[in-house]
Amino acid sequence: MRFPWLPALLALLPSLAQAQPPPEKIEPSATLPDGFTLRYRIERIEVRGNRKTRTDFILREVAFSPGDTVTADDARVDRARLRLLALGYFLDARLSMVKGERRGDVVLVIEVEERGTIILNAIHLGTSDATTLWGGLDVSERNLLGRGLTLGAGFVSSTRPKVDGATPALAFSLRMAGPPRLHGLLLSGSALFSRGSEFLRAIGATDRPDPSDFVALNVRRVGGVLGAGAVLSRTAFLLGEGRFETVRAEWPTLRDRDLGQGQSQPIAFLVRAGSSRLGSLALTLDLDSRSDPVLPRAGRHMVLSVEGATPACASQYTFLKATAQGSLYFPLRVGHVIGVHGLLGGVVGDAPYFDRFFVGDLNLLLPPRAYGINFSTQPSRNFFGTSVADHRYDKLAGRLLVEYAVPLWRRHGLFYRGDVFAALGVFALTNPDDLRREGASLGQRIPADLTADLGLRLDTYIGIFTLSVANAIGRLPL
Amino acid sequence: MWYRTGLLAFTILAFAAARATPARAQEPEERKAGVNRRDGRLLVSLALHDLFRAQDAQHLLSGFTSRVLVRVAIFRLDSPEPVAQAIRHTEILYDLWDEKFRVRRFEAGGKSETREVATAGEAIDLATALVAFPIVSLDRLEPGVAYRLSVRADLNPISQELLADVRRWLARPSPRSRMGSGDSFFGSFVSIFVNPRIDESERQLRLVSPSWMEPPR
Repeated sequence: MRFPWLPALLALLPSLAQAQPPPEKIEPSATLPDGFTLRYRIERIEVRGNRKTRTDFILREVAFSPGDTVTADDARVDRARLRLLALGYFLDARLSMVKGERRGDVVLVIEVEERGTIILNAIHLGTSDATTLWGGLDVSERNLLGRGLTLGAGFVSSTRPKVDGATPALAFSLRMAGPPRLHGLLLSGSALFSRGSEFLRAIGATDRPDPSDFVALNVRRVGGVLGAGAVLSRTAFLLGEGRFETVRAEWPTLRDRDLGQGQSQPIAFLVRAGSSRLGSLALTLDLDSRSDPVLPRAGRHMVLSVEGATPACASQYTFLKATAQGSLYFPLRVGHVIGVHGLLGGVVGDAPYFDRFFVGDLNLLLPPRAYGINFSTQPSRNFFGTSVADHRYDKLAGRLLVEYAVPLWRRHGLFYRGDVFAALGVFALTNPDDLRREGASLGQRIPADLTADLGLRLDTYIGIFTLSVANAIGRLPL
Repeated sequence: MWYRTGLLAFTILAFAAARATPARAQEPEERKAGVNRRDGRLLVSLALHDLFRAQDAQHLLSGFTSRVLVRVAIFRLDSPEPVAQAIRHTEILYDLWDEKFRVRRFEAGGKSETREVATAGEAIDLATALVAFPIVSLDRLEPGVAYRLSVRADLNPISQELLADVRRWLARPSPRSRMGSGDSFFGSFVSIFVNPRIDESERQLRLVSPSWMEPPR
């Protein structure tokens, strides 16, 4: 008989199943009742190949300890390996065993191959009618001091805008986050300094981006955000954030808009003149069952967030902002994917302009903001002939976008994966006052416009990027 | 200006696409398979040794079980639905003290066999060589109709549950400053790395056989 002690072990099985015995009572190097699998006791653990990442950090992720028993087909081994790979600090991770000092004892060897952990988050670059050039970078180190800490920093700077009285933009951002955890709190913090101008129309037709038609509202913001997140389930993540900032706004001398024919109206600056404070608390629930976080083929992703600013948070602005964003992905038989993306948001109260819904954040064809700074006077294209060209920062917003993605390749050198995609959608933004305006047409009450994009989404060695037509159009004065 | 911008964007896209291996390069390789008919069954012989690379032999000595899952499906040329599918799951275990490999193979119908071999090469051979592997009863094949085989082999496949966990670890949102809303030159970014080693298995092999016409019986 090849395994003479097998019958005895089989006889022991019911009692093993009823009560979890302490490790020392398990026969080491035993073949389990299936006659195949082996069981060992971990004598010690060695971590190899980690020049930067701390050994104790790696050991915490793999959840094995000396004295533990481990079977040859232990599900924790695959889990530990993938957990290490998912951290993003390693090109490869392997677990193996070598003989220990006594028969049945093993040394668990964890071998890792480290990779660069500096990510290029963003390149801010563009030109518009109002700003000849803006540029900047945002980078992160995701494994600071080998402890899994994230430190990110970025800046953006611009030439002096052509709008009368405007100042060149300058912004710095600094972010820090604790190591990723499966359980417990994920702590984070960020700080921002920004100085720049927002452009407000003082004269001329709403579809003219001519900078001479605008006045400059110069704003400086200094503040920070502290956050704590927790994993609620396999698909749910909850994040709470507290924010405080000081705002200094210089209103322009010209404070009325010339409507023509001798008529004028006060310009809505949407921020207090002089110094003010803004404090808020926010809660974000992230529900994510996508098949992949970058190029999903199926599943859904929903983000619900609520932010409230009150005097109780030392804020001179009182508002409540709620946003719901959802994405659904439908795989097609030919391997293509249809994605449907929706956004609904509303603000109640006197939120400053930078906390309202900005047309450039909804319309893919307009220049985006960087660290909250807008560089353009370009209105929305107004394909539907509504009053959307006159709307920039509003309290109510919605967008529906349908995207069709075609996988191009997988696993090729620097570019791991790539999808070509085409997206088409509509968005609308308005204010409660516009919504209630008597005698107004639907297009004036709910100004809407078309948005679209066509491009390539890349999953690369240094991060995930989108090269698209809308990106190009949004950054050129067209 | 619109025209020029569009042209510029499409040039960039075309350049990026030209650098990439097209998706069709991922289509299964065609490989000859031996097809025999015996005892009323269609039997297939096929070598899948290239599922393992040189370094994998070393990994087999890790003391942990390595798994190989081979799926063979037979299709009519005129239909995307398989006529039948056969599966073989193999586990390879190296005994650290006895310094030998145990290989256990499971096939459809609950049939299993365990063997002991001395070298990694022998273990790999047991896991990846299909020798007279039964696929389907001949009753289910129509004479005069063209068929082909589709084969997929996975080294250390990962359970769907674990894969879901991994995707969740990757997707976990990192806290971002809500003060600095806006976008970047590349339109959007995700501050994570997606390691290409994180997949449904450590390595996959996808093959198809040349088609053949089922002879009259």
